[in-house]
Amino acid sequence: MTSVRAPATAAPRRADVPAIVEAGIRGVSMQVQDLALGFGSATVLSGLDLEVRRGEITALIGPTGSGKTTFLRSLNRMNDKVAKHWHRGDVLLNGASIYAPGAQLMALRRRVGMVFQRPNPFPMSIAANILAGVKAHRIAGKEHYRDIVEARLREVGLWDAVSNRLNSSPFSLSGGQQQLLCLARALAIGPEVLLLDEPTSSLDPVTTENIEAMARSLVPALTVVIVTHNLGQARRISDRTVFFYQGKMVECAETAQLFEDPREPETARYVTGRMG
Amino acid sequence: MGAPGADGAVPAGAGPDVLLGEGGPGATLDLYGRPSWARRTASLAGWGACMLATGLIGVPLIWVIYGVAGRAVPHWHWSVITETTTSTGGGGLANEIAGTLVLMAGVVVLAGSVGVLSGVYLAEYAKGSLGSLLRSGSEVLAGIPSIVLGYVGYIALVIGLHWQFSLAAALITLSLLTVPYIAKSTEVAMRQVPTAYREGADALGLPELTTLRRVTLEAALPGVTTGLLVAIAISLGETAPLLYTAGFTDNMPGLSLTHAPVGYLTYAVWTFYNQPSTAFQNLSYDAALVLVVLVLLLIIASRLIVALTQKHTESN
Ligand SMILES: Nc1ncnc2c1ncn2[C@@H]1O[C@H](COP(=O)(O)OP(=O)(O)O)[C@@H](O)[C@H]1O
Ligand SMILES: [Mg+2]
Repeated sequence: MTSVRAPATAAPRRADVPAIVEAGIRGVSMQVQDLALGFGSATVLSGLDLEVRRGEITALIGPTGSGKTTFLRSLNRMNDKVAKHWHRGDVLLNGASIYAPGAQLMALRRRVGMVFQRPNPFPMSIAANILAGVKAHRIAGKEHYRDIVEARLREVGLWDAVSNRLNSSPFSLSGGQQQLLCLARALAIGPEVLLLDEPTSSLDPVTTENIEAMARSLVPALTVVIVTHNLGQARRISDRTVFFYQGKMVECAETAQLFEDPREPETARYVTGRMG
Repeated sequence: MGAPGADGAVPAGAGPDVLLGEGGPGATLDLYGRPSWARRTASLAGWGACMLATGLIGVPLIWVIYGVAGRAVPHWHWSVITETTTSTGGGGLANEIAGTLVLMAGVVVLAGSVGVLSGVYLAEYAKGSLGSLLRSGSEVLAGIPSIVLGYVGYIALVIGLHWQFSLAAALITLSLLTVPYIAKSTEVAMRQVPTAYREGADALGLPELTTLRRVTLEAALPGVTTGLLVAIAISLGETAPLLYTAGFTDNMPGLSLTHAPVGYLTYAVWTFYNQPSTAFQNLSYDAALVLVVLVLLLIIASRLIVALTQKHTESN
């Protein structure tokens, strides 16, 4: 198992990846086709086209209010419940539309997991939090519960801290530990895509580094899409970066290129800190 | 000198007194001196009002408990709770206590399930005009005087359905009376559950019922329990609707739901007190004491339930 404590900087950067991977054998996990989305009369996103590559980390950056969260939530249809929500265009997961009339929301969310900006453990014990999705999706029998809890907590590096209080309240944990618990909860149902919405914005630097290393260790087994306002974080962990501005995708490129040689002037202004 | 520029742009070349306000240095930045006389008076008045309000609740409470216990305890016999009432005022209150407990349990089951489900429906699903229609309906129901509901129960159930004074008639009437409270407190408690819980559950693909049972209702439980507590307290304390629907009997509650009257404690408090015999009058005080003790036990039990089930909440 990958050590969670491994410094984030040791993670392979795009430039270090072997040429054969460069050649693009990984394929597309999610495909966004001419997506427009809004609430009532407000149009929040428009004209979005994007390929999320399988087994990579895609970072979404952009000023506050540029639509990153809304876009991320359209990938697992979390906007559906928002009042007056509408959308045009489509999102495919492995080639199949997630918005098709017969698409099963529960099945979609089992395959596309999500971790929110603020940790949101359920008001149940630490172990029960990990098992919530496992039970609902009947992923394993009762006899495996203990092992699942331990394995998932080890995976996120939380086991040593909580192994003697699995039945305690998750709210007795620090914010960073709660976020790791939410990550473990999301991983426990075995998603193929993981959506992270500024997962470290309320966390201290050490936990942030842990979570970044975690994210790195999840690929290429998983596909990760992460919203971050921390440009350094995007540079450190992502393979590709997408720059959002005013509800539009301005630029999408390999991370190194987007930061060092952006095509669009707006991107250049943003990544050099001259905007927002 | 102009107005102090504490929050606006400081005029170029303005002296330090502009930054510090009219009083100059020391007046606004004195962090360590005593608070002003006005501030201390206001603070004292606030405290006084709080103490007074607490007293207004606490003193009558203690007075009631003292008054009831003072009259009942001196002649207390345990036979009061083991024997049924006799026509001479001998015996005890076993039938009234049993009747009240049965009514209480019935209200918890009937009004509890209907009320909690309605509250969940109002909070989660009833949007738009249907929702406000149901909410107004519930408020109207809550506003109907209990004696009117009792009379309605009498006309509709005891007479209309050819039941007699009975447990079922009383239960349905008491439930009509209490459902609005339970529904309202459930709805309010459900609405206060953080969106983050629901979103977390949605993002995990939990089925709606699982989310409801394991996450949102669980988090709303203190509010739901409060509503149930109020409902039970009402059903313990009501007399008027029961006179019309439960009737009264010296016998223990039986198995007949619709054709046998039920005894209950408030009847004893209310009627026995006006009987000429001291034996009956004593029973009336005993009934009041038992009622007070039941209410206290109820509150303790509900606290325990909340404490035991809310081990994992954010506020703990
Ligand atoms: N439910 C909503 N109704 C109306 N407008 C919304 C809603 N949610 C988000 N928006 C708007 O969409 C825009 C993008 O928001 P968001 O996706 O949260 O941006 P970001 O995550 O990039 O900061 C903002 O202008 C916000 O006001
Ligand atoms: Mg956001």
